Amino acid sequence: MDQPAQVPVTVLTGFLGAGKTTLLNRILTERHGKRYAVIVNEFGEEGIDNDLVVDADEEVFEMNNGCICCTVRGDLIRILSGLMKRGDQFDAIIVETTGLADPAPVAQTFFVDQDVADRTRLDAIVTVADAVHLDAQLGEHHEAEEQVAFADVVLLNKTDLVEAKGLERIEGRIRKINPYAKIIRTARCAAPLDEVVGLNAFSLDRVLEAEPDFLTSDHDHDHDDDVTSVSFVSETPLDLDRFQKWFGQLLQRRGQDILRSKGILDFSGHDDRYVFQGVHMLMDGSPMGPWPEGKPRVSRVVFIGRDLESMGLKEGFEGCRAA
Amino acid sequence: MSGGVTPDMPRRGRHRDGFPESALEKRGLKIQTGAPVTGAVAAGEAVAVATGDGTVRFFRDERAPSVTRAHDGAVLCLAADADHVLTGGDDGRFLRISPDGQIEEIAEFGSRWVDCVAAGHGQRACSSGRFVHVWRKGATSAASLEHVSTVGGIAFDAKGRRLAAAHYGGATVWTRGERRWKPSKLVWKGSHGAVSFSPDGKYLVTSMQENALHGWRLRDKGHMAMEGYPAKIKSFAWAGDTPHLVTSGADEAICWPFDGKDGPMGRTPLCVAHGGKRLATCVQSLSEENAVFAGFQDGAVLLAELDEARESIVVRGSTGAEVTAIATTRSLSHILVGDAKGGVLWAALRTGDAHARNV
Repeated sequence: MDQPAQVPVTVLTGFLGAGKTTLLNRILTERHGKRYAVIVNEFGEEGIDNDLVVDADEEVFEMNNGCICCTVRGDLIRILSGLMKRGDQFDAIIVETTGLADPAPVAQTFFVDQDVADRTRLDAIVTVADAVHLDAQLGEHHEAEEQVAFADVVLLNKTDLVEAKGLERIEGRIRKINPYAKIIRTARCAAPLDEVVGLNAFSLDRVLEAEPDFLTSDHDHDHDDDVTSVSFVSETPLDLDRFQKWFGQLLQRRGQDILRSKGILDFSGHDDRYVFQGVHMLMDGSPMGPWPEGKPRVSRVVFIGRDLESMGLKEGFEGCRAA
Repeated sequence: MSGGVTPDMPRRGRHRDGFPESALEKRGLKIQTGAPVTGAVAAGEAVAVATGDGTVRFFRDERAPSVTRAHDGAVLCLAADADHVLTGGDDGRFLRISPDGQIEEIAEFGSRWVDCVAAGHGQRACSSGRFVHVWRKGATSAASLEHVSTVGGIAFDAKGRRLAAAHYGGATVWTRGERRWKPSKLVWKGSHGAVSFSPDGKYLVTSMQENALHGWRLRDKGHMAMEGYPAKIKSFAWAGDTPHLVTSGADEAICWPFDGKDGPMGRTPLCVAHGGKRLATCVQSLSEENAVFAGFQDGAVLLAELDEARESIVVRGSTGAEVTAIATTRSLSHILVGDAKGGVLWAALRTGDAHARNV
């Protein structure tokens, strides 16, 4: 039985006025030879009218998924399965979220709903940030922090309105929250579309590509409620059972505060690399082939979240080492 | 109270690579519509089938089907309205289509999709977003009934006096009064999709976002949780004398008995039409018979009696395209099977095929 191809879905977040609509209009009107469907929210900015635009209500539902309670976007499940019924298929689907939305339920929908996971895949979370106002927004709204923390790409827009020094500072702030996102500086969202759509950022393969960043361990962070990131490495192989127990309990207990997690693991007695990535309490992982020859087998994990200092992550991770 | 699908029930014919082409299939008409089949219903002596390119086809006798371009986009939902059909589309239109292809636009909702439609005793209803719009018999204007979230499914009861709408957090049963529809709320945590009254009107059942069904005994709003499925339940139907609620979502048709005081509670469902390792995606009753059709992920369709001791028979072999619709004409003269790749099988049912007990 052959499976239909999965249509990639890009999630577009960002505060009101950051430039999401400019980007959406470009996606809809530029001659890129691709067919995109765009799902916009009811309270979005004006100025988009196109046959390929679908209105959504951002209905966040709680799902009782075994012992893990998580939220999903009910409207997205409905609309994506509706779009999959069409005779003419899309090259990609873009989902715009409202400025104040938490990106987690959108991402979780792709982990939890089987039909959505069968027919579509989460391509990347792209956050449009306003270079002029992001600094203030990060201080005032935790949603702004979350949008940066979840991002695979931060489109730092309106850079023409900020001096070089100011840009350095705001990029530093983004890096502090999320050192793994790719930052693209733009004015009027003029980034090439192939740097925004079709990134495959949620593929487990891509976790491997992020290797250089993983090596910079232990970022500086303040002891406050801000979103930060930490990473750890171990040159000693890990014990599978110990890791599963520790990581499972960690996500159960502290998953609300862990926004994203990723890792490449070397388990004692296993030849393949094990790769995972997670959103809050949900995670997806699998063996991803043998370690590259001649390279050291080093386990690395990264967490982006709140209050990470209190979770005993370093001790927990080190405790997973095979005896 | 809750029932469950026992995971270690005896399985027959578990190891197989698929079912061969059937005799019925060989003599039937096979067409490729070019877009996924989104629904099929009996409309008098015809079967209407809707597809993702906005087309509705009426199959009748041995003739080639009539083809009507109805929606600009996918037909999302379909219901029989006497020998006509009601359709809703992602173009925001709610239509009534005659067997000869005449289109009447009942309402239009712009960029909002029409997600669900239903008909009962001359009344017509559709849902778009959080609202159900219902037209009384002969009325030109609709009553608009609001719900807490987008409506996942709507259904009239057999008498057309009540209209149920499923949504987040449960379902609402609206009872028709002289002037207005009066709501009664049924609460159960989670998101509810397709909805149906039992034929006797005593129970209401919804399929959920989780791999479960939920039922309410309407007399006292007693709960019935039907759980333990490996997949979401995309399709269910009432079948047989008891009657049984026949459901997809497992590797065979799971059939819950709805007789007695408590319906299926505390009882084990019947499991028939075992499809090997494939999940059932679409089920349909063989009306007036104690038998059901079950369509599977791999395109196979089996016909089985509501009797676990009897073997099922192959109606369609494994084509590789997930079954999305099964319907028979009212007189059981013909069957239509539609799939996710746009394939349609239309074939005459002979006595031997139609009446499982005679096989």
